[in-house]
Amino acid sequence: MVVSEAKEIMRISWGPQHPMSGQFRFILETDGENVYEIIPDFGFTHRGIEKILEYRTFVQGIVPFERLAMVDAANVGLAYVRAIEDAAGIEVPKRAQYIRTILCEISRINSHLYAIGLAAEAAGGYPAIFLWTTADRELFLDLAEMLTGARWSYAFFIPGGVRADIPEGFKERALKVLSYFEKRLIAYRDSWLENEIWLTRSRGVGRLSAEDAIKLGAAGPSLRGSGVELDMRKEEKYEAYEELNFKVAVQKEGDCQARFMVRFLEMIESTKIIRQALENLPPGPFKKPVPPKLPKGEGFARVETARGEMDVHVILDGSDKPYRVKVCAPSFRNLYVISKLPKLTKILVADVPVVIWSFDPWYLDADR
Amino acid sequence: MSEEEVIKAISENFGELVVESKVLRPKKVSITVKPEGLVSIATFLRDSLGFDHPLGAGAIDYPAENKIQMVYYIWSMNRRMLIMLRADTPRDNPRLPTLSSVWDQMNLHEREAWEMFGIVFEGHPRLEHLLLPEDWEEGVYPLRKDYKLPER
Repeated sequence: MVVSEAKEIMRISWGPQHPMSGQFRFILETDGENVYEIIPDFGFTHRGIEKILEYRTFVQGIVPFERLAMVDAANVGLAYVRAIEDAAGIEVPKRAQYIRTILCEISRINSHLYAIGLAAEAAGGYPAIFLWTTADRELFLDLAEMLTGARWSYAFFIPGGVRADIPEGFKERALKVLSYFEKRLIAYRDSWLENEIWLTRSRGVGRLSAEDAIKLGAAGPSLRGSGVELDMRKEEKYEAYEELNFKVAVQKEGDCQARFMVRFLEMIESTKIIRQALENLPPGPFKKPVPPKLPKGEGFARVETARGEMDVHVILDGSDKPYRVKVCAPSFRNLYVISKLPKLTKILVADVPVVIWSFDPWYLDADR
Repeated sequence: MSEEEVIKAISENFGELVVESKVLRPKKVSITVKPEGLVSIATFLRDSLGFDHPLGAGAIDYPAENKIQMVYYIWSMNRRMLIMLRADTPRDNPRLPTLSSVWDQMNLHEREAWEMFGIVFEGHPRLEHLLLPEDWEEGVYPLRKDYKLPER
């Protein structure tokens, strides 16, 4: 589609008043129902987190860092902690690795449930699904609270381990929640993912080929929804993931439905991972002391957050604060892919919310 | 192809343009090149070595050495390897050629490095503010080391 062929271009501002998960603006260039351009306008939630981190000690920095994507605080926080550990060569006790894995997967389920709920809203007229996911998410928030003391921003991972051990009764409660949730997943599949209305809105819409997904740099479920198998949990083998048995969810179609199918399958895998990690929880210490000042060095961590691969590059200069932290955020890359999408496939104005939300961008981690 | 072989392939083709190369970790390679070799080496990485998946790019400020280092992070889907492509530029006149023609997405990352560090990317199609407001004071680069947070 070429803009010059169009009769009359109308620019629509989508946002910045909370188009979904934060303040962000898309400028849509439309002609009637056709969308020719989706231009992302970054920066409404830019907080200078990379700069702020240079003023915080390593442990203090974990709190602002998690603000990159609060809905997925554990995975995001882990990216920073792992980068520091990589730079200073800190090994983490086995038990801490397992506890980290459990909280990360709880966090992933939280995030995917939120994404699915909002996508159902975006597709028009599914408040029921949003209420379902919110109610089910509550169980996982409670689990996280039992483990960490906080429902959202955990700040639970610290260099060298985790802050606390698994509390008494956690395993029983988690298993109860999981077996309930596994039944709920079937309900989600039957009433939403295989629902005719949702399929009409999402199948074949916003199609992204594997080749384009790689070339443009899509991340996470957006990449795997296009048939590219790349998951940092398998690739980097961090924490306990190497010892646990799980599959990487991949779908070939590359449309909105495929991206959500990936999230749905990932939630199933997450429940398996949590079960295995709870069963095989090794004994031993859950953290080890780390000096406040770390030696000079350079660390790079890649963590599979719910939105995709988050890369953190830290430079240490021998003090108790990082010299420079660079975050390559998954949403930043996915928003770029969204902006290229109208060139690759036909998008109608009514599809825009579904298409954008199928990439699950978290504007705060894109703006940093 | 191992990490060493990737480094060897680059230095065989662009010997004098490579400043430093090392294997940081398994599957993670770092290579520093001269600015004039950036585009040709990047094109070689993409076309001949299969580094096709851009992850991001950012800069690091070293006031003591009077340099700013630009780092591009690229992943290869086939090789399952990450490369950090670095280039140094003087701090008082930071200029680098743009890589947005090699990896599309670098367009945005270079705009960010431009506003945060003041690196001018020659040949960049649209060097405008990305994260900072449009009326941000000219010549003030917040991620440089000499910029102090106002509240500190």
